[in-house]
Amino acid sequence: MACLHDHSCEDHNCAADWSLFNHIDVPKVVALNESVAGSAKSVFKPWEQRLDTSGGFLESNEGDPELLVFIPFTSDVKVKSISVVGGPDGTSPSRMRAFINREGIDFSDAQNMQPVQEWELAENLRGVLEYQTRYSRFQGVANLTLHFPDNFGGDTTKIYYIGLRGEATQNKRDVAATIVYEIMPNPSDHNYIITLVSSTLFVLLSPKLVI
Amino acid sequence: MVLEATMICIDNSEWMRNGDYAPSRFQAQADAVNLICGAKTQSNPENTVGVMTMAGKGVRVLVTPTSDLGKILACMHGLEVGAEANLSAAIQVAQLALKHRQNKRQQQRIIAFIGSPVKYDKKVLETIGKKLKKNNVSLDIVDFGETDDEKPEKLEALVAAVNSSDSSHIVHVPPGENALSDVLISTPIFTGEEGGSGFAASAAAAAATGAAGFEFDVDPNVDPELALALRLSMEEERARQEAIAKKAAEESSGAENKDHASSSNTDSVMAEAEPASNATADDKKDQPKDDDDAHLLQQALAMSMEEGSSGAAAVADAAMAEAAVDDQDLALALQMSVQDASMSSQSDMSKVFEDRSFVTSILNSLPGVDPNDPSVKDLLASLHGQGEQEKKEDQDKPEDEKK
Repeated sequence: MACLHDHSCEDHNCAADWSLFNHIDVPKVVALNESVAGSAKSVFKPWEQRLDTSGGFLESNEGDPELLVFIPFTSDVKVKSISVVGGPDGTSPSRMRAFINREGIDFSDAQNMQPVQEWELAENLRGVLEYQTRYSRFQGVANLTLHFPDNFGGDTTKIYYIGLRGEATQNKRDVAATIVYEIMPNPSDHNYIITLVSSTLFVLLSPKLVI
Repeated sequence: MVLEATMICIDNSEWMRNGDYAPSRFQAQADAVNLICGAKTQSNPENTVGVMTMAGKGVRVLVTPTSDLGKILACMHGLEVGAEANLSAAIQVAQLALKHRQNKRQQQRIIAFIGSPVKYDKKVLETIGKKLKKNNVSLDIVDFGETDDEKPEKLEALVAAVNSSDSSHIVHVPPGENALSDVLISTPIFTGEEGGSGFAASAAAAAATGAAGFEFDVDPNVDPELALALRLSMEEERARQEAIAKKAAEESSGAENKDHASSSNTDSVMAEAEPASNATADDKKDQPKDDDDAHLLQQALAMSMEEGSSGAAAVADAAMAEAAVDDQDLALALQMSVQDASMSSQSDMSKVFEDRSFVTSILNSLPGVDPNDPSVKDLLASLHGQGEQEKKEDQDKPEDEKK
């Protein structure tokens, strides 16, 4: 059951339950309305570090508490529960809406669409609260979009940690990632360190040179 | 190589009939649009570009984002100019068009050409900008055409509101000789974040120099191997020249201690000069030899007039080093002559010094040198101390009598 820390943790390892962190494709995490580009990635870390803000946190733009976080996984997962650690002084999110397997959701889509599940959140500064999902609807999740429409009255919304608990399957949805078919070679695609030796070899071997 | 979907908003309002950009503002805009489309599709083959109008028959999308350049060029034909541009509606429509792009992985970008006056306030523009920023859309603005007092500030405020991590830009193009597209080529709108695709870079170089004024007159795009080879050989040559110059400087500075090769060279040069010139110092200065040696020689002579012989050697070496630094060719020639002198005519040099009377006569002719000075005598003694001591002793006796 949910580990609400009203028992001592010595007999089992809480961290192991929150193992879905390992299956998140962190480089491809995208957030909309974040004030610092790329800060959404700092929100996904191991359970033990959930209160550690040294790596940065996710904050929305001034005067606009909405946040949208897109979380792709490296394989299909089943999500059992979600935990969110927010900021103090009313900057914690108050509601959360989840969408499954939809890429490219933006705010107007999120506001108009019916979410797969919606929760009322409480201020969870210590990271002890978690929110159960309707497990039957969260099977085979390739990516998860979380929309936080408002907060507890603060100017911005701050999120320090998002934890996901569940199981990972080995299935993958789409294998074809970004493959670039080159008709013309484009040097900026290939960031190799070309040494002088290899470049002179290239010069020597090329038949076009007239020197 | 950012994967991007771009919507270009064209201003085809009445203000575009003006001819202050050749041939007309509208034509200049059309050329710029064509160039931008080419650059975007070249930098990443999966990029898409769409075009829409802000005025004319109304805000409408001419081409939805596509990578087909032909469609984009075709739609620019037959556009009519008229009415007023509606900036906020245009941006909203552009956002919608980008939202429905086929490849959701592409970044969203809007490029707006604004040539007519802007009738919105700053506040309204800032709200528009914030909305774009919230949806992660970048905005580039080309401010040209009509200039009124507040237009640049308003547009700057709009770009500042949209900008996150430097992905949005604004360019102000005043009317003048340069075509709109030429001015745009060097801006970040064209070159993107990483500083350029091959297309943009070569177009920029061509535009900037007016002709194919590339390094070594070889277009790196046309013949990259040749350009690379030429560049490498130039660098190697430069490195070699630097090594030679450094070696010449080191040798000349090290000559004071043991190796008298360069000083012997200087002395031999001076020795050649002495018999040919008159006794007076001024005449020596005024005797030009070859053009190559004249400057160096005069420097060496002038400096040697001012100081003693041991000082002369050092100063002349310094002069030679300076001259070497100034003129690479001269340095090379000097280096070669020094090596030749030291290698082939080492024996000759030592013979010259052995002829002590010759040396003494030279020293006598130098006004700053007193041959009877003990330091001079020691110097001369050390010159001969290279295994020729017997000969020196033999010569010493008659020369002591001579003195």
